[in-house]
Amino acid sequence: MIRRTNSILAVALLGLMTDTASADVIKVGVIGTMSGPYALFGANYKMGIDAYIAEHGNKVGNHTVEFIYKDEEGPNPAKSKALAQELIVKDKVQYLAGIYFTPNAMAVAPLLEESKTPLVVLNAATSSIVEKSPYIVRTSFTMWQNTVPAANIAFKNGSKKVAIAVSDYGPGIDAEAAFKKTFETDGGAVVEAIRIPLNTTDFSPIMQRIKSSGADTIFTFLPSGPPTLGFIKAYVDNGLKADGVKLMSTGDVVTEIDLPGIGDSALGMLSTYHYAVSHDSPENKAFLASIVKNGGKVEDVAMTGVAAYDGARVIFKMIEATNGQRDPEKAVAAVKGMKWVSPRGPVSIDPDTRHIRQNVYLRTVTKVDGKLINKESDTVFLDQPDWALSKK
Amino acid sequence: MTGIATNDVPARRRLPLLQEAGSALAIAVIGAIGYYLFPDDLAFLTRLIGISFLVLSLDLVTGYCGIATLGHAAQFGVAAYAAGIACVRGVTDPLALLAIGIFAGTLMGLISGALIARFRGLPQLVLSIAVGQLVAALANKLQWLTGGSDGLSGITPGKVFGIYNFDMYSRTAYLFSLAILIIVFVALTRFVRSPFGLMCRAIKDDDLRAKMIGVAVYPRLVLMYGVSGAVAGVGGALTAMSTGVVGLDGVAFERSAEVLVMLVLGGAGHLWGALAGTIIFMIFEHIVAAANPFHWMTLVGLLLILIVVFAPKGLIEPALSLARRLTKGRAS
Repeated sequence: MIRRTNSILAVALLGLMTDTASADVIKVGVIGTMSGPYALFGANYKMGIDAYIAEHGNKVGNHTVEFIYKDEEGPNPAKSKALAQELIVKDKVQYLAGIYFTPNAMAVAPLLEESKTPLVVLNAATSSIVEKSPYIVRTSFTMWQNTVPAANIAFKNGSKKVAIAVSDYGPGIDAEAAFKKTFETDGGAVVEAIRIPLNTTDFSPIMQRIKSSGADTIFTFLPSGPPTLGFIKAYVDNGLKADGVKLMSTGDVVTEIDLPGIGDSALGMLSTYHYAVSHDSPENKAFLASIVKNGGKVEDVAMTGVAAYDGARVIFKMIEATNGQRDPEKAVAAVKGMKWVSPRGPVSIDPDTRHIRQNVYLRTVTKVDGKLINKESDTVFLDQPDWALSKK
Repeated sequence: MTGIATNDVPARRRLPLLQEAGSALAIAVIGAIGYYLFPDDLAFLTRLIGISFLVLSLDLVTGYCGIATLGHAAQFGVAAYAAGIACVRGVTDPLALLAIGIFAGTLMGLISGALIARFRGLPQLVLSIAVGQLVAALANKLQWLTGGSDGLSGITPGKVFGIYNFDMYSRTAYLFSLAILIIVFVALTRFVRSPFGLMCRAIKDDDLRAKMIGVAVYPRLVLMYGVSGAVAGVGGALTAMSTGVVGLDGVAFERSAEVLVMLVLGGAGHLWGALAGTIIFMIFEHIVAAANPFHWMTLVGLLLILIVVFAPKGLIEPALSLARRLTKGRAS
């Protein structure tokens, strides 16, 4: 315990002394959910960035890159803004990264132009964030990006009448709008749209409503965790699965972290997402190997890990382009149109929206060697933009 | 909760306004220390001041009236949303936004007061939670107005007095908030010593007895709730202006619970207790979260347990009794 306190003190002292560090250290502030219910996603930021450093080193030319982590805790814009400001003013970071929740990103955005600091968003998935400042680049995903393919595939697979059930908050409402618009344009009908209050645990009444609506497919989005487990259980228990009603979602509902908890009732469930931990590519294998080498566990890898890994690549490129100088215009210009092969597949930064373009995969929950995984099928939607921002 | 106010009956003042001037000076000095010693942390200190209004406001109803509430963020959040919405729709003068926040906070305070003050004890607590949840649900539901869970962004207030811009370093926001805090604190120092304030303490100590001597208990409590709403409204409006975003966290249950913890920590029933609780809790949280962003919550929990075990009436009580002993020692 004494040793622990000492190390905390040492870290605190280190924090005070960083001002005097040499000019050759380029600092990057990472704001993420490091504690509380979303801690695993914040920890993934660190895992992803550490994996990138393990593979590429922490130097760009003769500049050393240093990452400073701050805890955004939960949706708390005032706190995030204070953290960002502290990082900019006190720690003198040249770049910001991270941000799990949309309102927090919105609060940080106004600081960027005045302080000439680019921000690489590693999660917050509301489309409009990148419009809040020309210095924002995003390497995660948006609800529209992942939902539009879900609607396309539902129609293609022969679904005619869909019931949409989403959590009643921002991302859920985005998912509903994206699915409805796409599916109806394709020629299908949405027969029921239910918004479920957050923290709902009994989904039987919702299943009854879906049943009586005569839908042949359910599309859902719920934040991962207990609601997901309850929803899928109710879907099976109320006989919808037995009746042949299909269940589709974005990958958020069946994250690899939650799959063991959901259990076998998830088998056969379809989802569309930009990253599956089981993605079969040499890049992904190398990525997962680096994480394990750094002491992480493959079971803990989430989409924020790969977004952070790619985010680190984007930031390193920015540092390279500006040769360590604070020049946000040049930094952002350098990564516009940047293309590389990520653990999730080929990706690029859309020069118009500064949001990442990527493949979206159709996956089925499958059991392989006694472990549930999201097995990617051959159906891949190539080079998907954020459909709410750009139509190309 | 009883027994706090009994040994704290205000003594006759030798000089008028002495206590008020002392409080104002003390806050100004603490504020100046913050400004000059921690110029890089002004955003955090501004957030601290914003929350301290809410803790003071909670102190008025919990510490001075004995109303148990876990829904106090409602007043704060409604004011923040009101100021934010007004700002997004074109009212950019900070003082006007402040006035809007105060108005909205007062209104919300009167409404919740009218509901909550009808009961005592557990039903009161439950009702306060219900009111808080209702406001939180509405803020999420009325997405076109509040931005829902994405938050209400794009709040860019104009210059204070047409001169001082809200800058990146939060200098303006900090000094503006500090000035308002001094004004509000001085006003409250007077207010809690007024006959009205003293009567509220009487109600808190024994509402039945207060009723017996002819005090109209219910209207007083509702009125106090309105005042408390106004104070929370100041905090909400200032936070909305300095952050530029209003999120659902402003009306969340966690916010209500957190400020109650700060109040208990500092000492309910004392304005300085409320202020001290906010300062200590938030600074402690800030330091440990910076030192270890991954496990800091454990340390905060530990601090709370220690304080509740060793200073159950809040940190202000031991400080006050020490001060009393010192003055008595000098007198004898």
